[in-house]
Amino acid sequence: MQITINRNGENYGPYSLEQVREMLDSGQAQPTDMGHVEGESEWVPLSELSNNLPEAVEKPPVIGSQDGDTYTPTGEHEHEFRIECKPDFSYLTVQVPANQTLKVEASAMATMSTNMVMKTKMKGGLSRFLGGESLFINEFSAQGGSAEIGIAPGSPGDMDHVHLSGADEIFLQSSAYVASGMQVNVDSKWQGFKGFFSGEGLFLLRCTGHGDLWFNTYGAMIEIPVDGNYVVDTSHVVAFTGGLQYSVESVGGLKSLFLSGEGLVCRFAGQGKVWIQTRHPMAFANWTYPFRPESNN
Amino acid sequence: MQSTIEGGPAFAYINIDLDPGETVIGESDAMSSMAADLDMEAKFNGGFFAGLAKAFLGGESLFVNHFTNNTSSTQRVTLVQGTPGNTRAVELNGQQLCLQPGAYIASTPGVQLGVRWAGFKSWFAREGLFKLTVTGTGTVWYGAYGGLLEKEVHGEYIVDTSHLVAYEPQMKLNIQLAGGLFSSLFGGEGFVTRVEGKGKIVVQTRSMSGLADWINPRLW
Amino acid sequence: MQINITHRPGNSAAKVSLEAGESITAEGGAMIAMSGHMQVETTTHKKDQGSILGAIKRLVTGESLFLNHFTPSGGPGEVYFGTALSGDMMEYNLNGPGIMVQGGSYVASSPSVDMDIQWQGFGKALFSGESMFLIRLSGQGPVILNSFGAVYPIQVNGEYIVDTGHIVAFEETLNYEVSKAGKSWLSSILGGEGLVCKFHGQGTVWCQSHNAGSFGASLGPNLKPR
Repeated sequence: MQITINRNGENYGPYSLEQVREMLDSGQAQPTDMGHVEGESEWVPLSELSNNLPEAVEKPPVIGSQDGDTYTPTGEHEHEFRIECKPDFSYLTVQVPANQTLKVEASAMATMSTNMVMKTKMKGGLSRFLGGESLFINEFSAQGGSAEIGIAPGSPGDMDHVHLSGADEIFLQSSAYVASGMQVNVDSKWQGFKGFFSGEGLFLLRCTGHGDLWFNTYGAMIEIPVDGNYVVDTSHVVAFTGGLQYSVESVGGLKSLFLSGEGLVCRFAGQGKVWIQTRHPMAFANWTYPFRPESNN
Repeated sequence: MQSTIEGGPAFAYINIDLDPGETVIGESDAMSSMAADLDMEAKFNGGFFAGLAKAFLGGESLFVNHFTNNTSSTQRVTLVQGTPGNTRAVELNGQQLCLQPGAYIASTPGVQLGVRWAGFKSWFAREGLFKLTVTGTGTVWYGAYGGLLEKEVHGEYIVDTSHLVAYEPQMKLNIQLAGGLFSSLFGGEGFVTRVEGKGKIVVQTRSMSGLADWINPRLW
Repeated sequence: MQINITHRPGNSAAKVSLEAGESITAEGGAMIAMSGHMQVETTTHKKDQGSILGAIKRLVTGESLFLNHFTPSGGPGEVYFGTALSGDMMEYNLNGPGIMVQGGSYVASSPSVDMDIQWQGFGKALFSGESMFLIRLSGQGPVILNSFGAVYPIQVNGEYIVDTGHIVAFEETLNYEVSKAGKSWLSSILGGEGLVCKFHGQGTVWCQSHNAGSFGASLGPNLKPR
């Protein structure tokens, strides 16, 4: 079905029914605009036209649930957990069994049971400090019975869970770490000059071992399966699987290096998975400048 | 009056369709857009002295805006909180709700806002000496930075002080250190609130102070 | 060309799938990720065109100086675009009247879309809370815009008020003036609304739910001094 739209005496289109609906939704077409269905004799307002059409289907809401989505694990996992308020303010709640312990990035605890006991550990010493992650990791132990903890990272964004089963290896951008089980090893790995250009610190965190690992983004998260070759702006890389090769380069030619505004990109090759974030922290950091207090000196 | 909250939890905003003769009251600068035929008038937030008290003690603005529909057809006003995050509407029918300072966005005329002493401990934890209460009959809209999660507490529960948004008035709040002295100082958690009693609390899944702690190391 | 906007309205990204030979033009710095065989060309204006004037014009709108043109070499390819701040994105298919876009809200467009800059006039430039220049998009084809907060359209038929700092774009069949929000100037200032933009005419204005300045002001006291 083809529909011509008339507004203020001018004809636009013709459009398909689906296009007209989208235009009504986006506000590009107005319910009061007149529409003409090919083959019909009369012009009718679009509001009437779209209501009276037999194949009209209820479109799913664009914006989704008002409280965000909730994720509970379906695959392998060590702890019972849920992630709520996805994808913009993801919030992790983990059930820790009696007398067991969970590692959580410092400052991220938002709620917990009263029998949860917190201990602060300096993890990994200096290299961890250089990794850009705060020097301290907190250990939360459930004393006497099971206990729950609610974890809210500082950055607004999404969160994902990976269950490591010995052979797996995941690299995280150093600020992406949220929490992990006690059998997961988190080491910082010198990135050399690759890291220097990435804008997110000199180190990647290499996660191996057994158990649950949670990591987060700034902005929404997109999981990209890599088979061959894929390019990601360095400041949008969150995590990637161990088998991938990567190199840091500029986009386009020499002119683009200086003028494109894209900075450097990471080219991944091989087979695996890359998690990217839809926003990057330095853009936000730069934006805050006019709102920062004046320093005293 | 018909109202909907859209855009949540990331950027919730409130569409309020006022029928002829109806009024809604909004926090200062909460209006995002409105029908040109609506009347908007600034008034003290519940009288001069009450307004002063709320402004200086409860973290709210000295003036609020009254949006009134003096036309003969339904008109829309869109209200929003100053930060990203989610918003909730609560129907009050005589009961009371306690809000953290700054959480109030809008209400219908039958709702009263008040300030209540929160205790020195609360001030010590940088949460202010007073808390905001809403009571009366009507709708109140409140919100915070982050998503909002409702939690039923029966007994005791610990909430980081910067994450508590709203709670029922029978809940008792106590401020304490997050862990031992060392952990509390270096573990980044500082003070937490111990909530006691049986009732509902609402927590925000991000905090402005958490956001600042995350971005500050990246500022030069 | 297929455009798919995901993660609305919090931290939206636009995924653009291109057939071989198709191109998309985007604001410098908007690319998040792309297929390995995507070719990128940088100019100050439309593809294969560029001028110093074009660059200066772009700069005054608060957009980046340069535009990037993405074309897959060989087979089809994809590119993701994001924005500097959190917020929503919208796709609009130009086909008829042009639209006026707030500086900083432009993300990308088809090469068949024309872009120009319009000075708002002193009154609006100083008081509208928006950038001094608007971008006029015209021609045919899809454009992608971004906002701080959720985008919502309002069909204006007569007059409508939008608070300063909340305009994303509007059809050029509309015009606006900066005026007081309340019954009186005193009321407008005391109520914290101050000035507002009053639209006239018939057409659509796209508003952003949130104002980045208000958010910055409430975050400010927590930030490290500069």
